[in-house]
Amino acid sequence: MAAQNLVFAVLAVVAVLAALRVVTTRNVVHAALYLVAVLGSVGALYVLLAAEFLAAVQVLIYIGAIVVLFLFGIMLTRPTLGRESGLDNDQRWLAGITGLFLFGVLSYVLVEAFGDERLPRLEGLDREALTAERGTGAVGDAIFSTYLVPFEVVSVLLLAALVGAIVLARRE
Amino acid sequence: METLFRSPSVDFHAFAPEIVLVLVLVVLLFVDLVFEERGRWATSTVAGIGLLASLVPVLTLAVAGGDRSLFDGAYVVDDFALVLKGLFLVAGYVTVLISTDYVAEGDYYEGEYYFLLLSSLLGMTVMASARDLISIFVALELLSIPAYLLAGWRKRDLRGNEASLKYYLLGVFASAVMLYGMSLVFGVTGSTVLSEIGDALAGGSSTVPVVTVGIVFVVVGFGFKVSAVPFHTWAPDTYQGAPTPITAFLSVASKAAGFVALLQLVFIAFLGQDDVWAPLFWVLAALTMTVGNLIALRQTNIVRLLAYSSVAQAGFMLAPLAVAASIPAERGGIANATEAVVTYLIIYAAMNLGAFAVVMAVARKTRSGEIGSYGGLFDYAPGLAVLMAVFLFALAGIPPLGGWYAKFVVFKSLLDAGTGAAVALAVVAAVNSVIALFYYASVARQMFMDPVPDGDTTRVQVPAALTASLALCAVATVAFGFFPNLAARLGDVALFGALP
Repeated sequence: MAAQNLVFAVLAVVAVLAALRVVTTRNVVHAALYLVAVLGSVGALYVLLAAEFLAAVQVLIYIGAIVVLFLFGIMLTRPTLGRESGLDNDQRWLAGITGLFLFGVLSYVLVEAFGDERLPRLEGLDREALTAERGTGAVGDAIFSTYLVPFEVVSVLLLAALVGAIVLARRE
Repeated sequence: METLFRSPSVDFHAFAPEIVLVLVLVVLLFVDLVFEERGRWATSTVAGIGLLASLVPVLTLAVAGGDRSLFDGAYVVDDFALVLKGLFLVAGYVTVLISTDYVAEGDYYEGEYYFLLLSSLLGMTVMASARDLISIFVALELLSIPAYLLAGWRKRDLRGNEASLKYYLLGVFASAVMLYGMSLVFGVTGSTVLSEIGDALAGGSSTVPVVTVGIVFVVVGFGFKVSAVPFHTWAPDTYQGAPTPITAFLSVASKAAGFVALLQLVFIAFLGQDDVWAPLFWVLAALTMTVGNLIALRQTNIVRLLAYSSVAQAGFMLAPLAVAASIPAERGGIANATEAVVTYLIIYAAMNLGAFAVVMAVARKTRSGEIGSYGGLFDYAPGLAVLMAVFLFALAGIPPLGGWYAKFVVFKSLLDAGTGAAVALAVVAAVNSVIALFYYASVARQMFMDPVPDGDTTRVQVPAALTASLALCAVATVAFGFFPNLAARLGDVALFGALP
């Protein structure tokens, strides 16, 4: 268990520090790359929780698609890449205070509600039963049975987003 | 060990309205693809007929009767869902009618416009049946994302860009807040189905802080959607910058969808937690009415005026939610509050869509949204002036026009609750009704008393589709006023799975 706690601590510190750099760095490209570190650490946390499907999806979609899209967007819209001013505004102190307040409230309620919960120890677990219940196969079954409606609705949503993106991007 | 996948049994009749809508979406794409420029006129016709066609299964489901609960209660087709699906589809049809000439004359993309409009409507019909956190979230995204795009449909207009961007950024932020709240609720209850969440929360102690934060976040998320003060800041700029038919659509259908989700979440999942949401809704309702009305008083642009008026109207719809838990069972309990909100939504849809239809008809001649340009409207367009007066006085709640019954059911449910807080809210609502009358009447005074500003008294040409939408809204507004039983019959719907 100690190894898992250690790995969690490292991943959590990396995620938080990288997230701080995302909003404090003066270079937009660096911000996007720090975002890769944040999303990657979160993906690793999913592995730690034995949610391997979620981890794979996290890497494929967030890092593989979304951040790459960010980088393309930055490349195509910025005349020069590098340090920039004007990424901040006057409200950053207010935003910081709000953020800290929210952090305090959420930390308190989460610790209060889940502080006593303990993950079950590995020795006593029936791994095969767990895989059947929560593994990638089970996720697939759930998507095509319990969550069939949201799954189908998402397909229309993606089509609508695609049509809208083409309209926005097309030159007249 | 191999577990066999069993495909779920699907009641296709229950999904028929959505299936018809998806088919219409596909047909729209094909008409646009195959006929290209020659088919431009056809797209609005296809969209309109398609919406009417998807009303048919709603009616057959209503005739067949009975509550249909699918996927272990995650998707429910009950009277509540059917009435609201009907409302969304009719409101969508009226939006298509008022869009037809606007979009055709404005050199906008047409096929895509109706495609996105109908996608958004599909999201709303799904929302009316969604009784599961994931379905609600996906339906919310499906109804919002096309709306963000449609708000910016005037691509070369700076105000249009501002409208779309503000709506998008604040909408996404609200979604994120709501999603965080949902994750907290799921974390405590271990279920995404609303009725199971309701059972789990009722079992535990009701003062767990994490549940409180979860509920507050979810309500705040939908507060953005229904433009409740203090989450209304996007509404005026978005309403003004978006194409006017889309403004009408956002202020009616999109707002109604937000209320539908709120009713489902609060009355099924969070019913026992009223010590959290009742004060929250009280503050939201009082603020929304008052701030919306006070700012509306100072508007000089008719669309901004209607934007703030629709903010204020949302306050009236929030009021029954604030007192729902204290309405005694012999007076209907939460069913009383549900009825008040649904009835208000139906009547509000008719009068607000009508008001926007008149704004569009007048703008065809004056090319202006300033209230000053309504001077002397009665001299050269008496029909439009009278209709506008009908819709405005209906919005103000003057009998015998529809709006009075909407206000009446809200006051009735406030007074049925009878607690001090409820009576105080009724007083706030009454004061606000008077303030609202002032600005609605000042537009009417412009139309009937003031001279025409530029002396141009040529008649206003109103195209057939716009006339049809005006007629539909006017008939509905007047009929609901003279025969309130009609609205009461539609609004008297119970939520399946909600505790009595």
